[in-house]
Amino acid sequence: MGNTYADQTAAQDAGKSPSSWKILWREIVRDKVALASLIFLGAVVVIVYGVSLVLDQKQIVTVDLFALNQPPSADFWLGTDYGGRDVFGQLIIGTRNSLSIGIIVTLLTGMIGILIGLASGYFGGTVDNVFMRFVDFFMILPTLMVVIAFVTAVPKYGIVSFSLIMTAFLWMGIARLIRSKALQERELEYVQASRTVGSSHLKIMFGQVLPNLSSIIIVTMTLNLAANIGLESGLSFLGFGFPESTPSLGTLVSYARNPQTLEFRWWIWLPASILILVLMLCINNVGQALKRATDARQRKG
Amino acid sequence: MPFLEVQDLKVHFPVRGGIFNRKLRSIKAVDGIRLAIEQGQTYGLVGESGSGKTTTGRAIIGLNPITSGTVLFEGKPILGGGVRSRPGFRRDIQMIFQDPYSSLNPKKRVLDIVAEPLRNFEKLSAQEERRRVQQLLEQVGLSPETIHKYPHEFSGGQRQRIGIARAIALKPKLIIADEPVSALDVSVQAQVLNFLKDIQKQLKLTYLFISHDLGIIRHMCDHIGIMYKGRYVEQGTTADIFENPQHIYTKRLITAIPDMDPSKRERLIKFREAVKAEYEQAYEQYFDEEGLAYPLRPVSKTHLAALPEKG
Amino acid sequence: MWKTTARRMIIMIPQILLLSILVFLLAKAMPGDALTGLLDPSIDPAALEAQRERLGLNNPWYVQYWDWFTKALQGDFGQSFRFKMPVADLIGQRMMNTVWLSLLTLVLTYLIAIPLGIISGRYHDTWADRMITGYTYLGFAAPLFIFALLMLWAFGFHFGWFPTEGSVTPGLTPGTWEHVVSKFYHILLPALSMALITTVTTVQLLRSEIIDTKQRDFIITARAKGASEARVYNRHILRNSLLPIAAFFGYEITGLIGGTVFIESIFSYPGMGQLFLSSISLRDFSVVTALVLLYGAASIIGALLSDMILSAVDPRIRIK
Repeated sequence: MGNTYADQTAAQDAGKSPSSWKILWREIVRDKVALASLIFLGAVVVIVYGVSLVLDQKQIVTVDLFALNQPPSADFWLGTDYGGRDVFGQLIIGTRNSLSIGIIVTLLTGMIGILIGLASGYFGGTVDNVFMRFVDFFMILPTLMVVIAFVTAVPKYGIVSFSLIMTAFLWMGIARLIRSKALQERELEYVQASRTVGSSHLKIMFGQVLPNLSSIIIVTMTLNLAANIGLESGLSFLGFGFPESTPSLGTLVSYARNPQTLEFRWWIWLPASILILVLMLCINNVGQALKRATDARQRKG
Repeated sequence: MPFLEVQDLKVHFPVRGGIFNRKLRSIKAVDGIRLAIEQGQTYGLVGESGSGKTTTGRAIIGLNPITSGTVLFEGKPILGGGVRSRPGFRRDIQMIFQDPYSSLNPKKRVLDIVAEPLRNFEKLSAQEERRRVQQLLEQVGLSPETIHKYPHEFSGGQRQRIGIARAIALKPKLIIADEPVSALDVSVQAQVLNFLKDIQKQLKLTYLFISHDLGIIRHMCDHIGIMYKGRYVEQGTTADIFENPQHIYTKRLITAIPDMDPSKRERLIKFREAVKAEYEQAYEQYFDEEGLAYPLRPVSKTHLAALPEKG
Repeated sequence: MWKTTARRMIIMIPQILLLSILVFLLAKAMPGDALTGLLDPSIDPAALEAQRERLGLNNPWYVQYWDWFTKALQGDFGQSFRFKMPVADLIGQRMMNTVWLSLLTLVLTYLIAIPLGIISGRYHDTWADRMITGYTYLGFAAPLFIFALLMLWAFGFHFGWFPTEGSVTPGLTPGTWEHVVSKFYHILLPALSMALITTVTTVQLLRSEIIDTKQRDFIITARAKGASEARVYNRHILRNSLLPIAAFFGYEITGLIGGTVFIESIFSYPGMGQLFLSSISLRDFSVVTALVLLYGAASIIGALLSDMILSAVDPRIRIK
C-alpha cells in the first residue's frame, strides 16, 4: 500500500520542487511596483558603478574658483557647488559611495547579528542570557550620538573605520530577531533528530537551523540596507560621515545647511535628496514584497 | 546481562523566578526509574502526558541532561560524559520522533535528511550515498525516485517512514520510538506499526516504545512499564500487566481501553464505573501524601508493582 | 507588576554605570584634554604640567572616572570652555527647548496617527485607506532629514509661512503672551516635520491592529448580538486596538532622541541636539560627555517606561 502511494507521488515528480528563493522571486515578479523598483535599482547600480569607473574622482573634488555655484549648463549638467565642483559627478560618485557603505555595513551587521542571534537562540540558557544582556546594553545607547562621538574620537578616520563604527552600533536589531526565531526553531523536533543522528551543534546551527531562517534574513537585510543608507547620508549630512574629499549623497545634501544654498541653489542639494528618497523607497518596496512572500497569508497568489 | 539497563534515573528541571532569576525548586520529571531491556525485544513505556515517559526516552539518548543515575548499554555506561568518549553509542541508539511534521527539516530534501547520519559517520562518495539512501527508502516502502522532494510533499505516514529510514540508516541496535504513530491518522497507524515490527525482525532491532495508548502497547510490546508522575507504578510482561494488574492505577488504565464489540458496551461501562469508584476510594491507599507512587515491590519473578506496605 | 518594575530598575543600574564608563573613555580618547583649549599656547609648559597635576589629569583613568562620575551624580559636569560656564547650567538653558519640541512632536504624532489609523483600519481597502497607506509607505522610506529639509525649503523659504531659525523672535520679554506665541510659532514647523515622519509606524500599527481585531470572534459575537456599528467600534475594537499603541509610547521617546538632533540642526533650533553638534565640532568635550550621558539616561528611561506600560497592558509578558 505504501508503495502505490509512493509511486503516485513519484510520477508527479517531473520537475524539482520550488525552493524558497524561487518563491521570493515569484512574489517580486508578481508585484509590479516591486519589480519596477528592482529594475530601477539595478539600473542605478549599473550606471553609478559603470560611470564612476570613467569619472576621475580627484578632478571632480578639486576646487575650481572660476566656476563657483553655477546653475546647470551644458558643461555642468547639474551645476557646481560652492567650491566650483561638478554636482553631477559628485552625485554619481556619492551614490556609489553611499551604496557601497550601505552594502558593507548591512553585510557586516548581518554577519554579526546572525552569529550572535543564532548562538543565543540555539543554545538558550546562560549563553542566551549573557548575549542578551549585552544586546540590551547596546540597545539603550543613543546610537546617533555615540556614533558621532566615535567618528570624532577615532584618530585615523576613513571609510574602513567609518563602516566599522556604524557596524559596531547597528548589529543588535538583527541579532534579536534571529535569536527569537532560533528559539522557536530549536523546539522543533528536527533539531533534536539531528542531535540523535550525531550532528554537532555547529553543523545543526548552520546546516539545519540557518536555512530555515534564510527568508527572514533576506527580508531584514534588504530593509536594513535602506536604513543604513539613510543613516550614512544622515551622518554625512550632519558632517560626521564621509570626509568632503569622498562625497556621499549626504554630503551633497549637507550643502543645504547653508540657507543661501537651500533657498537659491536647488541644483546642489535637491537631486541628491530626491535620489536618496527614491533609492530608499525602491529598496523598501523590494523589502516589503519579500516580507509578504515570507508570510504565506499575505502572498499575492 | 541486559542489553540496555537504566538504574535509578532522575531528571529534574529547575524552576527559576524572582527578581534575580534564582532556582526556586525543581520539577521531578523522572524520579528514580529502573528498567532493563533484552536484545530483540520491545519494551513499552506507558503513561499520561506529563508522566515522564518521553523525558525518560530522551534522557537515555542524551537529549535531556540526567540529574543522577546511570544508563548501561551492552553493560557499559554511556552517559555522564560518555557521549563523546564513545562515539559508537550514537550509531547504536537512534530515535523515531512523535511529530512527522516537525521532525523533518522543511528546507531539506529527502536525500539530505536520510543521508545526514551517513554524512556524520561514514565517508561515502556522492554516488554511494545516493545508492544507500535509495536502498533505505525502498526498505521503508517509499519510491527511490523521491529523493529530491521536500518533506511537505509527503503524507504523514510517508513522512514517518522517512523518519524511520533516517533512524535505521546507521544500522542501530536500539531504537527509541517516542509515540511514533500518535500524530498519524488512525487508518495508517496500523500500517506503520506493522512495518515497525517487520523491520524489527529484519534488522534484529530492540525497541523502547513510548506511548500513551495501551492498545498499541499490547500489540507491540513484550515488557511494559507504567509511569505516573515520574515514577513507576507497575512493571511486568505484557501478560502480567493485562491479565493480572495489581495497582489500582493500572487497572483503571486497562478498563479505559475501548472495545470494538458493541454487545459488551453495557457491561464495560458498568465495569469502568466500578473501577472508578474503587480508584477514588483507594487512591490514598495506593499513593503517598504527595500523590506519588510507593517504591516497587515484587509480585512475581517478572512482575513488580508499587503497592503500599500491608498493615 | 511591582516585580517587573523592580527587576527592570535593577537592570538599569549596571546599564547606567556601563554607559558612563563608555562615555568617559570616549571623552578620554578624544584629542586634547580639559586644558588644551582653555589656555593660551604661550604659557610655560611647567606651569601647565602643575595645573594638570592639580586637576588630577595625571591620575590613572579609573580614579579620574570615579571623580567625574561622583561629581556627575551631583549634577556637576565641569566647565564648558566655549561658553565659560558650568555645563549643567548650559544644558539647563537648552533642555527646555528640546523638551517642548519633543512634547509637541509627540502630541502631533498621536493627533495624526489616531484618526488616520482608525479611518484606514475601519474602511480598509477603500480609496481613503489606499491614500493613507501610500502616505505611510512614503513616510516609512523617507529619511527624516530630507523630509525636514524639504519642509523648511517649501514652507520656511519658498512660501515664507514659518520662521526658518531660532526658538523665539529676539527682543520679546519672557512670560508675555507674545513670547509664548512666538515660541509656538517657531516650534510648529520643526515639530510637524518630525511628527509627519514618526507617526507612520503608529498609523501602520493601529491600522493592522484594527483590521485584526475586526475579525476576532468577540467582535463577531458583539455584532451578532445586534450592537450598533458605532458601539462595536467605540466599545470593543478601539479599546483593544489602542492598547498596543499605548505600549509603544516609551519607544517613541527613544526614537525622538535621534530625530531632534537632525531637526534642531536643520531648523537652527537652539536645543540640546544642536548644542551637541556644535560642541563636538568645537571639541568642547565636557559638554559632549554630559549630553551623551543625558541622552543615554533618557533612552534607558524610555525603554523602562515601555516595558512597564507593556506589562501593565499585556499580562503575558509579565516577569513572574
